[in-house]
Parts: sequence; structure tokens; C-alpha cells
Amino acid sequence: MAAVSIHQFAQCITCHAWSPDRTMVAICPNNTEVHIYKFSQEKWEKVHVLYKHDQIISGIDWSVESNKIVTVSHDRNSYVWSQESSEWVPTLVILRLNRAALCVQWSPKENKFAVGSGAKTVCICYYEQENNWWVSKLIRKKHSSSVTSVAWHPDNIFLATTSADGKCRVFSTFIKGVDKRDKGASSSQDMKFGEQICQLDLSFTWAFGVRWSPSGNTLAYTGHNSTIYFVEDVLTSPCAQSVAFRDLPLRDVLFISERMVIGVGFDCNPMVFTKDDSGLWSFLKFLDERKVTQSSSKYGSQFYHLEVVGVSVLPKVPSMKKT
Amino acid sequence: MANALRLYLKCIRNTLEAAMCLQNFPCQEVERHNKPEVELKTSPELLLNPVLICRNEAEKCLIETSINSIRISMKVKQADELENILAKKFLRFLSMRAEAFQVLRRKPVQGYDISFLITNYHCEDMHKHKLIDFIVQFMQDIDKEINELKLSVNTRGRLVATEFLKQFV
Repeated sequence: MAAVSIHQFAQCITCHAWSPDRTMVAICPNNTEVHIYKFSQEKWEKVHVLYKHDQIISGIDWSVESNKIVTVSHDRNSYVWSQESSEWVPTLVILRLNRAALCVQWSPKENKFAVGSGAKTVCICYYEQENNWWVSKLIRKKHSSSVTSVAWHPDNIFLATTSADGKCRVFSTFIKGVDKRDKGASSSQDMKFGEQICQLDLSFTWAFGVRWSPSGNTLAYTGHNSTIYFVEDVLTSPCAQSVAFRDLPLRDVLFISERMVIGVGFDCNPMVFTKDDSGLWSFLKFLDERKVTQSSSKYGSQFYHLEVVGVSVLPKVPSMKKT
Repeated sequence: MANALRLYLKCIRNTLEAAMCLQNFPCQEVERHNKPEVELKTSPELLLNPVLICRNEAEKCLIETSINSIRISMKVKQADELENILAKKFLRFLSMRAEAFQVLRRKPVQGYDISFLITNYHCEDMHKHKLIDFIVQFMQDIDKEINELKLSVNTRGRLVATEFLKQFV
């Protein structure tokens, strides 16, 4: 299967996020701006430019329910953008970081977001109604290198992180007053904020791109040694599988379903991994037909981020690849 | 081209293809800095094991990789005194004009004749395979270049000597 359609938005895209209805996409063209493109009349048009950061933007996430965009940047700040009439209005979030922010993700309930940083910390930010202010709480002293990726468990409490020290960790992010303790809920709710639930030490080099499966049973992340790791039942009795492949390392992964994962990386060709009936993960195929050809005029481009695209709009979505 | 040289270059090319997986990575130690980690070496976990490819004792290539940069250093063949001088002068000439080459390092790493430094920014605006082609082509040509220089120095020497000695005939 070749790319359905290709649109060149910029020479280099560092991160992107889809709007809830998948008609718009927010990208960072490798600078301090966020460009929002809208699909109308069979073509993509630039409708907004969000300009507030003063260093390169490293992460964008667009919330589904509340229609808010959060951006983080190497300038150590984060902005939450909300749409008022036709304008996007920024709210500064003081992350209390002293190094660059590297990645961001909204929690499933969208009352919190997590920011991974080069300060070896993770910020959990939540909205404080009385002050009209986003507050940041830090998970410190758990990572021994930069946090490269964060992923929320569907229960809105657990957060998985990968870091450049090769480890994948799972934390509880229970915040009093923001998260409610349900009666008879799982033990997850007894954990304090910042408590480390487990640490997966599978990779011996940098780890990237952590994601939970839709049910939260399986965790997948990649290592820079061209290996993808699948961990089943992380919270109860973890059982890990690693799948090594012969191509260049992956940078990010995406669960399509409980049994199918897409990985993207330095080979510029998305890889599909599937789980068979016995629970074994294996490499299925490359998504793109075009195998790396030396003479092609393609850039040495890399996929960095992935997001689910609704199947209904699939024929219209652009490939986020530099051409 | 000699078979051994082809194998040597092929090995370098394959190593570079695997090693050149770079990404933007801000400094962990200094606020608001973004520097090639392979030069700073402040965080050991951000460096990979260096790879040394040797054709023989005189010709070798060291490839050091980090999360956002890669450094390629090479030592070129110097069979005799003259080749030594020519290589030194020629590579110094190139290093002095390093900014014209973009990926050339101004000073070679100690123990090597010439070094290249490739960062994620180079990979963002240039084709990765063309960067690799450039490095490999450079290695291929440098021997040829020095051989030609040596020949022309010898020819010139002979010519000068002939002209000089003519007056005694």
C-alpha cells in the first residue's frame, strides 16, 4: 500500500496533531510557530498560525472533547490554546522546568496533561479553577536522563514514560481534588502522586515512543537498538516480549487495535506489527511499498509522531512525511 | 579500484547508514543550549559505542555517534615523508575552509588527519544518503588526490633539476 496522498506543508515537520474531527491538522514546521491547516474544497489551507514560543516546538497535542491545543517547546514553557470565536487564545503554563520540554500528551479525561522534559522530570499539569491557572506538579528524581515520550493509561491515573537511559517507567499521577477516588475501584487509586509502579529495563540504549493499547493492557515502546518491546499486563504481572528487526530503529508507535501496532522511524517506512492468537507479537509488513532506494530524491526523513486517523477520512489525510 | 578499498568503503557506508539516525535533542546540562553531544560528552548515556574501521595500520576511520550528532574521523595513507607533508598541507587547506563544506570539522580529532561533524540540523536540510555519498566519495578521492599531488611534485622536481643542471652541460 502506497501513501494515499502526499501534501508538502513544510520542509521539515517536528510534530503534529489532528483536530478532533480530523479536518484540521496542527504542525510545527521545525521553528517556533504552529501552523493549522484545514481541509476544504479538496485541498489543505493554512487557517491559523500560533506564534508565542521563542524556541523550537517539540510537542503538540489536541484534545478531543474540550478542543484545546497544548504545545511545549525547548524554551521550557507550555501554552494551552483554546478557540474563542475564530481565534486561538494562548494561556501560559509555567512548567517550572529548567530545561527544554520534549513531549506532551493530554490525559484521557483531558483534565491533566503530562510533559516530559530534558530536566529528567515529568510535569503533570492540571487546571485550578479558583486561580484560573494551570498548575504543574513534578515527578522528580526518578529518571536518570531526558524523558523522550509520555503516554496516559486509559484510566487517567497511570502514566508511562520512556527516557534516554533506556528505561520505561509507569507512575501514578493521582492528584487530590482533580481525580476522584471511586468506590470499589482498582488499587490504582490508592497510589500517591509520583509513585513509581514499575520500571521496565529491557532496552540497553535510548527508549522512545511509548503507547498503551486502547484497553490499557499492553504497553509498547521502542529502543534505539532496532527493537520494539511489548509488555502485557504491566500493572499486575508484567510479561515482556521484544521483537528485533533488521531495519533502522523506530521512533514512535501507535496502537491501531489491541492486536495491531504501527511503528515509524528512521527507515521512512511505517512498519506493522501484529499479535497472533497465541499472544506472540511479530513483524507483519511495511506499509509503504517503496523500499529505500539509493537514487530516490527523498530526504533522509523520519516519522516522529503518529496519531489515529478516523477511517472515514482516511482517503483524504495527508502523509506527514517530508518529500 | 582495488577490492580491499571497495570493501573498506562499503563497510564505512553501511556503518554510517546505521549510525546516522539523529534527532533534535536539547542539552540536559545547560539551560537553553542545544549542542552536539558527541563534542560535549557531558552525558555518557547519550553516546553510543564508537566504531573503528581499519583497513591497515595507516588507514582507519573512527565513527562516534551520539543522540544528535555523529563525528567521523579518518587517517589517510602516508607511505613516505613526502606523502605525509602533502596530506598534512592538503587537509589543513580543507580544514581552513571548513564552513564551505558545512560538515567538516575545523580541527581533526587527535590522532586523525581530518574529521567531519554531522548534526541533526544537517540531516534536516540535506539528504541523508547524499551526505553519506559525500563522505565516502571524499575518502575515495583523497588517496587519488594525494597520489596526483605526489606525482606532480616529483615531475616538477625533475623538471627543475633538469633545467638547473642544463647550465653545467
